Amino acid sequence: MQRTDFKVDTVVIGSGPAGMAAAVAAAEEGAGVCVIEREERPGGILKQCIHDGFGLLQFQEKLTGPEYSYRYLQMVENLQIPVLTKTFLIEIQHEENGFRLILQNESGVFSLNPRAVIYAAGCREKTSRQVFLQGTRPAGVITAGTLQYMINIQGYLPAGKCVILGSGDIGLIMARRLTLEGAEVEGVYEIKSEPSGLTRNVAQCLEDYRIPLHLSHTVTEIHGTERLTGVTVARVDENFKPLSGTEKFVPVDTLVLSVGLIPENDIIESLGVELDSRTSGPVVDQYNMTSLEGLFVCGNALHVNDLVDYVSESGETAGRAAAEYAARGLNHGDSNGKRVNLTPGNGIMYVVPQQWKIPMEEETVFYFRSRETVFRAELEVAAGNQVICREKYPVLRPPEMERLVIEPYLIPPGTKEIQFRLRC
Amino acid sequence: MKRLAGVNKALHRNRLGEIGVEERKNAVRLTGKVDSREQYLKAGYIAAGRGYRGVINDIEVNAGGEGEMNLPSFQDNALEGKHFNVAVVGGGVIGAAIARELTRWNLDIVLLEKEEDLARHASSRNNGVIHPAFAPSPGTNKAYYNCFGNRLFNREAAELGIKIEWPGSMGLFTRRWMRLLMPFIRHRARQNGVRGVEYISPEKLKNLEPHVNRRFWGAVFFPETGNVSPYKLTIAYGENAAANGARVFLQTGVEGFTREQGRITGVQTNRGTFGADVVINAAGLWADRVAEMAGDRYYTIHARRGTIAVLDKKAGPLVNYNLGVLPLADTNTKGGGVTLSVDGNVLAGPTAEEVPRREDYSTSRLDIDFLFQQQMTLNELLRPDHAITYFAGNRACTFEEDFIVEPSPHVENLIHVAGMQSPGLTAVPAVSREVSRKAVDILSSYRNVDPDPGFSPYRKPPIELSRLSLEERSRVIKENPSYGRIVCRCEVVSEGEIIHSLQSPLGVFTLDGIKRRVRAGMGRCQGGFCTPRLVDILAREAGADVRQVRKSGPGSELVLKKTKGEVDYTGFKLKGVPGKKEEENSAADRF
Repeated sequence: MQRTDFKVDTVVIGSGPAGMAAAVAAAEEGAGVCVIEREERPGGILKQCIHDGFGLLQFQEKLTGPEYSYRYLQMVENLQIPVLTKTFLIEIQHEENGFRLILQNESGVFSLNPRAVIYAAGCREKTSRQVFLQGTRPAGVITAGTLQYMINIQGYLPAGKCVILGSGDIGLIMARRLTLEGAEVEGVYEIKSEPSGLTRNVAQCLEDYRIPLHLSHTVTEIHGTERLTGVTVARVDENFKPLSGTEKFVPVDTLVLSVGLIPENDIIESLGVELDSRTSGPVVDQYNMTSLEGLFVCGNALHVNDLVDYVSESGETAGRAAAEYAARGLNHGDSNGKRVNLTPGNGIMYVVPQQWKIPMEEETVFYFRSRETVFRAELEVAAGNQVICREKYPVLRPPEMERLVIEPYLIPPGTKEIQFRLRC
Repeated sequence: MKRLAGVNKALHRNRLGEIGVEERKNAVRLTGKVDSREQYLKAGYIAAGRGYRGVINDIEVNAGGEGEMNLPSFQDNALEGKHFNVAVVGGGVIGAAIARELTRWNLDIVLLEKEEDLARHASSRNNGVIHPAFAPSPGTNKAYYNCFGNRLFNREAAELGIKIEWPGSMGLFTRRWMRLLMPFIRHRARQNGVRGVEYISPEKLKNLEPHVNRRFWGAVFFPETGNVSPYKLTIAYGENAAANGARVFLQTGVEGFTREQGRITGVQTNRGTFGADVVINAAGLWADRVAEMAGDRYYTIHARRGTIAVLDKKAGPLVNYNLGVLPLADTNTKGGGVTLSVDGNVLAGPTAEEVPRREDYSTSRLDIDFLFQQQMTLNELLRPDHAITYFAGNRACTFEEDFIVEPSPHVENLIHVAGMQSPGLTAVPAVSREVSRKAVDILSSYRNVDPDPGFSPYRKPPIELSRLSLEERSRVIKENPSYGRIVCRCEVVSEGEIIHSLQSPLGVFTLDGIKRRVRAGMGRCQGGFCTPRLVDILAREAGADVRQVRKSGPGSELVLKKTKGEVDYTGFKLKGVPGKKEEENSAADRF
C-alpha cells in the first residue's frame, strides 16, 4: 500500500527532471511535498536517454540520462519526499483554498488537497498525421521517442531499414542508436534548410556514422498496407512545398518521426489557464506561476527545452515559489495585478517567462529562441523605447535555446512591456 | 431489346460508342476498353436506371484495374467437411448483425471474415452517424431501411450495451431563400417517415450552435440524427452472435462455391470446404466478386472514398449538433460536414471521391485540404491543428446507388446484401431483420425452423473506467487492481479494460483490435506512449513471443528483433554511484 496519509501543501505532477528538481526545491524551502508519477519508476523520459551529455550546467559533468535522473532521485530520497508511482491524475479542480486532485492507482481512487500544484508532465511527440503526412497507416511508422523506449528500455528492435524524418535531437540520437543496434538508417530527411537538432548531435550521431542528412527534403507519402514498404521523399521549396519531379521512392520497413514536441497541458487547460500560442505552453510569470493562482508549470510542459539542465532550473524556480506560495500565499506581488509583459520582437520566436510581476525583486532568468539562424546577432532588450540590455552572440540558432538573466533595477518604473528583438 | 438500344444510344451520345452492350439474365453487361476510370464510371451510370436488374460493368480500363481482393494466404482444415445452416460472408456491421439476428433461431450459423478482425473495412471507416431517412429518394430501398433502421437503433444499442447519442443534426441553408423550401422539406420528411423536422431561424441557429459559420441562413433541424461507434457496434454484434452460438471464423476468405442444380452446396475457403443450406453475401466492397463466384452477378461495386479527420476532444465543447449543408439535389455523397462522436471527438468529413482500388485507404493532401477548408469551417472555431489523425474508407457503391437486399432468383439459397453505402450503418437493424427472415423463409420451405429458447439479445457491456463515477471506479479497482493501472494516458484506458477486451469470444490479439475495442492508442498521442506497453501486454496475454505481436493482419509485426536476449536484471547492482552503498543501488528498483 502506498502512503496517502501524509499532509501535503504542494503536489508535483511528474517525476522527470523538472518535477524532481521542483520537489527538491520546494522541500528545501520547507514545504510538505509529494510527487505523483504515472509510470512505474520515477525519472520521466530520462530513463530511456542512455546517451550522455546531460548535466553539464547542473553538475559540471557529462552524465547519461539515468545517471542525471539518479542524482535527483537521491536528493528526493534524502529529503524523504514521497513519490507515488503508478498513480494517475484523473482530474484537477480549482477550489477556494487550493486544488483538489483526483488520483487513481492500484489501490483505488483518492484525492489530495494541496495549496499549490506544480505541473511538470512533460511533452508528447507529434505524429505523422499531425505533420500531415499522407498515404496509408501500416505498422512501421513510429515516433523517435517511442522507438527509443522500445530499444533502450524493452530491448526490442522494431526497425530493419529506416528513414528518419526530422532532424530534431531525438531523431539524430536514434539514427546513431539504430545503427549501433544493427538497423540500417537510409538517411535523415529535414524539411528545413538547416538541422533542427543541436550541432553536436549532427556531428556525433550522423557524421561519425556516415548517415546522410538530406536538408530541404521531406517524406510526402507512406506506402504499405500491413508493414511499411517504403516512403516517397521529395525536395521542398522555401515554403516547404514538395517540388514535383523530385519525388523518389525509398524502400524501407520503418519510418521514424522526429518532427516536434508538444507541451502536454491538456489536463490543466481544462482549468482555463491562459496559453501562449508560440510555446504551446501556459503563460507564466517569473515564478513559473500560470494565470491561475497557485498553479505552477515547469520543464517541457512549459515550453520545449533542448537541455535537461534548463528543465531542472525551471523546476527549481517553480518549486521555490510554490513552497512560498503554499506557506504564505501571494506575498510576492501581483495583488494589484501589476506586471510587465515580455514579448518577442524582430527575429525572436518566443520568450519565457512571458510576464514579470511587480515588485520585481530578484534577477530573473529568461529563455528565448531566435526565429532563424543569425550569425553575429545582437539582441536588444527594450523597456518601452529604452534599450536596457544588449547582448552579442556569434550565432543564434532556433534549436538552441538561449538564456539571459536580467536584473530588475534595469527596468525603468512604469514599464509595461519588455521586448526581446534582434538588431537589424 | 428496346432497353438495350436505349443504353447503346446513350453511350454513343457520350462518346462511349465503342463499348459493347448485352443482356445477361435481365441485367445489362458492358464490355470493351476505355482509357480512363471516369469513362468506366460514366458508362456504368448511363446503363443504370433503365429497367435492368443491375449493371455488370466488365469494361477494362487501360489506366489500371481495381486491385485484387486481399485474401488470407494461409491454409488449414478448420472448416473442412463441416455443415452450417447459414453461412454469412463478410464480417462487417451488416454480416455481424445478420449472424446475430439468425442466432434467434435454432440454426447453425457461421460468419466468415477474410481479415483478422471484424469491421476492418467500411464498418470501421465511417463517422458513425445514424441518419434520419431524409436524404434517400422516396421509394428506394435506402429510404425504407434507413427509416426503420433508425427507429430500431435505440433498442439495438441498449441490448448490445453500446453507447448511442442523439444530438440531432442541422441541415444548414446556404441561401436566404432556402427557408422557402420548408414545405418541400416537410413533404419529403413525411414521405420518408422522418419525424420532428423543424425550421431553425438564423437567430435561433446562433443560439443553439454559437460557433456555426455566420454565412448560413438558418437550418432545418433533424432530431432523429444520432451517433454510435460503428466498430464497437460491429464487434458487439459479433460477440453477441458468438455468445449465442454462431461460429465466427476470422482470416477466412471465400474462394469459390460448389453448385449443384441452381443451388450452392459447398463454400470453398482457405480453411476448407464446408456445406451450407443458405449463403448470405454481405461482402461489402467485394460483394460482386462473391456474387460472381456464386453464379449470380448482376451488379458492380465501385469504391467511393471518404476521408475523415478526427479532431481532439478539446474541440468537443465547441460543437452541439451534427452539422452539414442541406443538399439542394439528391447527391451520392451524404454531404459530409462536422459531426460529434460518442467518444467525445469531433469529426470532419467525409469527402467523396471515386477511387479505382477498392482496398486502398491512403489519404491525400487534396482530401485533407478539402476537409479543412470546406467542412471544418462550418464551425468557426475548429482549426486544422485540432486534427489528431485522419483516415479513409471506401463506400461500396452500385451504379444504381441503392441497397440490394434480396434473394437471388437464379441461385435459390443465396441472398444478396450489397451496395450498402451510406446510410448503410443506419439501415443495419432493419436489414438484418429482413435478411434473417428471408433466410428462415428459404429454410422453412423444406424443414422446421424453431426459435432458439437459449437466445439472449443482451451483451454485457465491458467496464469503461472513464464512464464510471469515482466511487464505482474505486470499487472496480478494489476488486481487480489491474483496472487501477492506466496504460493509455490520452484516453485513460486501464490495463484491466485491455485484458478484458482480449478475452472477447472473437479472440483477436492485435494492437488495432485493442484500439477498436477500448480506444487505447486513439487519443492525441496516437499510441506514442502506450504502444510499447500494449506490445508487452499482448505478448503476455497471448502467451506469445513479442516478435509475433502484430498491429493488424499477418505481416504487420511490430518488433523485428530482440536486442538483449533473455537477461535477468533482478539483483543487478549499479556500481560506483557515489554516496550510496552498493546494496542500496539495486538497478531493478530504480531504472
